[in-house]
Amino acid sequence: MRNHYSNYPSMKTRTEQILVVMNVLSWVVFVGLLIKAGAILLSYSVSLFNPEAAANLYKGLDLSSLRRDNLWPYTMVVSWMVSLLGMKAYTAFVVTKILSKINLANPFTMEIALLIEKVSYLIAATWLVAFLSVSNTGWLHRRGMDWRADTDAPEFLFLAGIIFIISQIFKRGIEIQTDNELTI
Amino acid sequence: MPIVVNLDVMMAKRKMSLNELSEKVGLTLSNLSILKTGKARAIRFNTLEAICVALDCQPGDLLEYAE
Repeated sequence: MRNHYSNYPSMKTRTEQILVVMNVLSWVVFVGLLIKAGAILLSYSVSLFNPEAAANLYKGLDLSSLRRDNLWPYTMVVSWMVSLLGMKAYTAFVVTKILSKINLANPFTMEIALLIEKVSYLIAATWLVAFLSVSNTGWLHRRGMDWRADTDAPEFLFLAGIIFIISQIFKRGIEIQTDNELTI
Repeated sequence: MPIVVNLDVMMAKRKMSLNELSEKVGLTLSNLSILKTGKARAIRFNTLEAICVALDCQPGDLLEYAE
């Protein structure tokens, strides 16, 4: 007779497959962001000696006018970009850590809960960097500089809040699981 | 936790080993050890009943409230 548990093994395999795919995607995002940050840093280094390089820092990113005007604001703008990319890359790295450490036979561990909580803090920090970047480049823009960051990404803060709530629910789940395990 | 489990005291009084109690009660040694060392968060009534039967005692002999 078929019961509701008969689908369990195939469902588990499907969940495992989804997590493997997500793990690969997180690695791709992590490496992609590192490459982008590295390329911008490299182009920036070249542009210090050859200002023409600022015309195409990464895939058409043109900061040549900023570079011509003043090196200091140009350096600040590049720093904000690289910091933002670094934060995103580190978040993606922590996600790969979660996905590689999670064991579907026993997924509710404090280590995973703490990593999920860490992701929420990192996303909140990413929002903060984006916010500071917009404020700073807006200030530069008002002082006549010709470039400003286009978004402070408020959705980062929203996402951080949601992930933080999920991490707290996850922690509570672990507490209930521990209570069950220690009920004799 | 202010609830103290006096399982080891009762076992000593009845001169019963952990292995013997485990067989009589039907609990694993690790679960009995959790109970004995006070790490347990809760105890089911049927477990308490089985231990009381095996050790011929009352729940009050096994559990004590100490501030």
